[in-house]
Amino acid sequence: MVTTLTDPYKILGVAPTASADDIQKAYRKLAKKLHPDLNPGNPEAEEKFKEVAGAYDLVGDAEKRKRFDSGEIDATGAERARQSYYRDYASAEQDHPYTDNSGFADFMESEDALAELLRRSARAQANRRGRDLEFRLPIEFIESIAGANKRLTLPDGGTLDVTIPPGVTEGQVLRLRGKGTPGAGKGDPGDALIQLEIKPDRSFTRQGDDIYLELPISLTEAVLGARIRVPTPTGTVTMSVPKGSNTGSTLRLRGKGAPKQTGGDGDQLVKLKVVLSKEPDPELEAFVTNWEGGKTFNPREDLTP
Amino acid sequence: MKLSKEEFLSLSCIEHETLGAWIEQEWLIQGGSSDEPSFTDIDIARARLIRELSVDLGVNMEGVGIILNLVDQLHGVRRTLMELRKAVRMTPEGFG
Repeated sequence: MVTTLTDPYKILGVAPTASADDIQKAYRKLAKKLHPDLNPGNPEAEEKFKEVAGAYDLVGDAEKRKRFDSGEIDATGAERARQSYYRDYASAEQDHPYTDNSGFADFMESEDALAELLRRSARAQANRRGRDLEFRLPIEFIESIAGANKRLTLPDGGTLDVTIPPGVTEGQVLRLRGKGTPGAGKGDPGDALIQLEIKPDRSFTRQGDDIYLELPISLTEAVLGARIRVPTPTGTVTMSVPKGSNTGSTLRLRGKGAPKQTGGDGDQLVKLKVVLSKEPDPELEAFVTNWEGGKTFNPREDLTP
Repeated sequence: MKLSKEEFLSLSCIEHETLGAWIEQEWLIQGGSSDEPSFTDIDIARARLIRELSVDLGVNMEGVGIILNLVDQLHGVRRTLMELRKAVRMTPEGFG
């Protein structure tokens, strides 16, 4: 390290007889002018500040000053080794929380190329909003219609509570404000974007706001009619199957479908399917054998050329 | 480098209450969450600057706030100027 043996009193511009108070005043006056953080673009000021700070270090302290005045120590090595200044971080290229670009806000209002460049850099640097985080969340079909509360486990081990409103659709994205990564500086945090994935259901399918269900009924119920229990995503309801219903007959349960965007609910459409018992029924066989109507009726009438 | 509140206090040689007051004044901005605040190198350098301004140079509270605001604006302008220089260099014809 190169050190110059200079008189600390001269550097501070005070007489060797100056009072401690005067020395402090002199130092403060110079330091306010020369502090590197108050002169971020001026290397000359930094050099001078080092000298001034070194000098003050020596004679600003009563004990050291006594030893210096008596010739016990000299100015060698008085220069303080300094790690770094605020400006070294503040002038770094990456963003930091203290970034403030308001100093040229007025320039940006004009329409020239310079202003555009400034705007672009301001956009990139200003207190940036946090990033959005994207998640996929598989849910049951019934949850998609009736709504649900789910808890998502995040990659970092945290959890996120998600309220699924009734009537969501496949691929729909729920936005949880402020649940993304924290913003830079005064920037708002990002959002969590949750894309819903609806698992197929064994019984229900959905088309628009209507829900379809194929419902098996017995021959007796089909022929004589019945009141039967029908599952819907929001619970079981009772429905009348009219006398003489057939496979493929579709009954409408009003308001039992998915909630509509426009308000109200879609319908559930129940398609009937007549199912015979798996075990052969001798009584039924005997009846059908003697059943005249069954022999004359041709359900394939329209198909025969 | 990410520092906990305790590490930050000991490295910056400031008291718990002082830190609270500085954050209140928005002289320092803590990262992380409010339960678990975190600090970085730039916060240490800024805390040192605040201490030097107030203790070594005798600047009062109002003055420190004004200086920090202007210093931050100055850095903003310097950064923009650097970007501008970069952009002009990349444009062979310059502006116009």
